[in-house]
Amino acid sequence: MEALELLKAQIDAVHPLNESTWEEFSALWSPVSAKRKEILTKAGETEKYLYFVMNGIQRAYAVHADKEATIVFTYAPSFSGIIDSFFTQAPSGYYLETLTQSSLLRIHYNDMARLMGKHKEMEVWIRIAMAHALAGVLQRQKELMCYSAEEKFRALLKRSPHVLNLIPHKYLASYIGVDPATFSKLLSSVRL
Amino acid sequence: MFKIIAMPSFDSANLLNKLKNEVVKIIAASETLQQLDNAQLNQQPAIGKWSAAQVVEHLNTYNDYYLPQLKKALIGSRYAAKPVFKSGMLGEYFTNSMLPKADGQLKSKMKAFKAHVPAALLDGVAVLNKFITDQKKLLNLLDLAIQKDIGKIRVPISISKWINLKAGDTLRFLIAHQQRHFLQIKNTLNAMNVHIEKAFLKS
Repeated sequence: MEALELLKAQIDAVHPLNESTWEEFSALWSPVSAKRKEILTKAGETEKYLYFVMNGIQRAYAVHADKEATIVFTYAPSFSGIIDSFFTQAPSGYYLETLTQSSLLRIHYNDMARLMGKHKEMEVWIRIAMAHALAGVLQRQKELMCYSAEEKFRALLKRSPHVLNLIPHKYLASYIGVDPATFSKLLSSVRL
Repeated sequence: MFKIIAMPSFDSANLLNKLKNEVVKIIAASETLQQLDNAQLNQQPAIGKWSAAQVVEHLNTYNDYYLPQLKKALIGSRYAAKPVFKSGMLGEYFTNSMLPKADGQLKSKMKAFKAHVPAALLDGVAVLNKFITDQKKLLNLLDLAIQKDIGKIRVPISISKWINLKAGDTLRFLIAHQQRHFLQIKNTLNAMNVHIEKAFLKS
């Protein structure tokens, strides 16, 4: 199978595009690769691309004073990129880096905007996808504020059981807002 | 975020036997192709469209990746067969994408980024021999699969080692992909008025 089929599968799961729109849309994506610990987008830059991940893991994070907060991890077959910056075309508040060697597909904002202007169903797909993304962000905000360290840990494992093997634990700790020592303790005591 | 749809369930042994029958039919069709000469096998029906040899070579590249992966995964697993196999979302999606459209037309091939186009002039004999040899390996794998849990055992896909499909779905997808392309060959040969037995690909 081809990379574009994987992209199509993800779109079809949300809001299938009609054939000619898909033909036009799929032609605008290009493959790109990055080595490990490469910064794809810097805070302060405007996100030019929407990415679709084929291989590898990426992380979006914020930096404030001497602290770092992991916002999200992305890996195949999800989308990646600093989404709010991409769609508003305002400077990004976050960094996007690769944690491992990565290969992705990407589409430039100009192409995306043009197609969204041309085909209503593109807007529909984006709107539904964003609604789901927003739901995820709100849920996470609730968990970060209300859950105990153990509850956050359990929620992470329930939602994405495979992450322990894919992502270095220091980043997972940052993601759930605990220090690495606490994370190790949770790992040994809470294993499902 | 996938829409929640019930994934189809299959009687495992039944499914694998059906898949075996499909492979047997494909072997028969390949043997029919062996009666054509090299020029006919390499004839492109139109600019940019693949010859029969190119199609078979494309299938060879899939087998080059998937057969060893399937063998490794099946042999390496101690999970014994279960009576029911439930398809996974991605596996079901990819298998279905091989089916013809409602009007019987084949869905067009997805564009490949790499220059993954088989060479324009191939050794038709070699390409077909390899294909048939691989189909026999595939039959053996299907026999092996009957003893294993094809729902639990997973196989990474060729384009991303981060994504894997259930072994049952990998087999379904691989064979559906072959069927789709053999239909393409049948259409191609008909379009070029290359004489092919009426029995080609008949059930």
